[in-house]
Amino acid sequence: MPFLEVAHLRKDFGGLVANAGVSFAIEEGEIIGLIGPNGAGKTTLFNCIVGYHSPDAGRVIFKGKEITGFKPFRTNREGIGRTFQIMKATTGMTVLENVMVGAFSGVDDRHTAKAQASEILDFLGLGNVSDYHINELPIAMQRKVGLARALATRPQLIMLDEVASGLNHTETDEVIRLLRKLNTEKQITIFLIEHIMEMVMSVSQRVIVLDGGRKIAEGLPADIVKNEEVIKAYLGEKYARSH
Amino acid sequence: MKDAFDFSDFSRAERIGLLIFSLFLIIFPWIGASSFLKAVMIQFLLFSLFGMGWNSIGGYGGQVELGQAQYVGIGAYTVALMMVWWKVPFWLSMPLGVLIAVGYSCIIGYPLFRLRGHYFAIATICTSLVLKDIFENWKLVGAAKGVELPIHEHPDFLYMQFKSDTYYFIVALFYVALFYMNRFRRSKLGYQLRMIKDDEEAAESLGIDLRWCKIKAYATAAAFVAVGGGFMAVYNLYVDPASVMDLDLSIKIALMAMLGGTASLWGPVIGAGFLVPLDRFLGSWLGGHKGFIGLDFMIYSLLIMAVSAYQPRGIWGIVQQFFRGRT
Repeated sequence: MPFLEVAHLRKDFGGLVANAGVSFAIEEGEIIGLIGPNGAGKTTLFNCIVGYHSPDAGRVIFKGKEITGFKPFRTNREGIGRTFQIMKATTGMTVLENVMVGAFSGVDDRHTAKAQASEILDFLGLGNVSDYHINELPIAMQRKVGLARALATRPQLIMLDEVASGLNHTETDEVIRLLRKLNTEKQITIFLIEHIMEMVMSVSQRVIVLDGGRKIAEGLPADIVKNEEVIKAYLGEKYARSH
Repeated sequence: MKDAFDFSDFSRAERIGLLIFSLFLIIFPWIGASSFLKAVMIQFLLFSLFGMGWNSIGGYGGQVELGQAQYVGIGAYTVALMMVWWKVPFWLSMPLGVLIAVGYSCIIGYPLFRLRGHYFAIATICTSLVLKDIFENWKLVGAAKGVELPIHEHPDFLYMQFKSDTYYFIVALFYVALFYMNRFRRSKLGYQLRMIKDDEEAAESLGIDLRWCKIKAYATAAAFVAVGGGFMAVYNLYVDPASVMDLDLSIKIALMAMLGGTASLWGPVIGAGFLVPLDRFLGSWLGGHKGFIGLDFMIYSLLIMAVSAYQPRGIWGIVQQFFRGRT
């Protein structure tokens, strides 16, 4: 039984088909990359799994339980955490308080929540910015706060939406290190959308490629980069023919 | 529970301020204030109570709620009608009024919290006005004429009939509210509400059931406000839709909390401390003079506009800004 199974998932907005019967499975402990050109339906797929959208057809099964159409707070309680492509630069709460809210999903006591939040912040190397507000931090750190917040809910599967976009080379390397650490030390299964090819290819054990709402390829990173269809989707028909 | 009495995360100045303010509240009846001033003081404490209640959903939760008067009305009518019909003592009818208000807030909160932002605000106004309309036309509860409470010849603690000590009763209610909010702001619900206010989408991804959280906060607000409504019934000895269910009252409650500073413990108290006396004194000084009628409302609204234009976080925001600027 796969850890997360998505079967024939379909979502359209009016006439626009964002996901046209996407199927795949993820095993526990894997790091899976989801790539595809702009408008391929990656974020829609994420939102259908997590519950921001309810799919028009198809099923989502997590740990053997059907969670299709569950609201985001329920999928979170089932063990799925997620981060957002764009962090709202909020001013109302400090970084520590943000992460505490995540921890509150499992505990009721403020002191326990605070202790758990501090531990996660230290793990991600954010201990020194815990009293700042999100809008006071550089974008790389904001993303990490989003990650810390999601981790505080103790997910078994974490879904990251472009966690490295807008980051420079060193910052990206650091994120890669961090994700590997999460995967090995905390045994968290990771499913990530990413634009930066270099990052997806180096961190993922398997890659799923979407184009026009369909899954066009799935496999090892090394095979994906050589795949005709993927090259065509990314670089256009002409480029593929001339090579 | 410990959190309710723990003010240690406030600055020293704030704690000393609270202490001085508390002493003032205790000795106030003995300083020989006029009955007018005493009435203003009771109004101030009552509106602080209302504002603190509103703050749970409107301040911490960030949901602009403009229908609190319906819960004032429920609290006031429950006390008044039960006393007139069945001679039920205040101490029994008041908690019952709170229960009814909480139940009612959950029932209408469920559909209301499908709405967001302005739509939610408008819907709360509507539900409150509908309830007022029903009471204005409902013969059984006195329709627009309202209900008059019987005056007892002798002071009667059971029915809260002794004018002189109602002051300490509202002081007690004020402190119950203050301690409750002091705990609330650091409770799990308090944190979750602040997250909802900041970023609803993210809050949902962190396992927060938005609607249930908002309903809980809304019910908290309703409970506070219904207690105040019950008090209004025994204090005024008279309840009618125009005095306890008016839109004007709902707006005043929200306005005082917003002007004082939302999502802070002191905000609603400061707002009430500023607006209640202003409203009363301007009204009595200017409202009576020929040619000045209406001028008090103009000054009142100009001040509100000035504060909110200068600092969206209200008077408390201005105070904090001032002290931060100096250090």
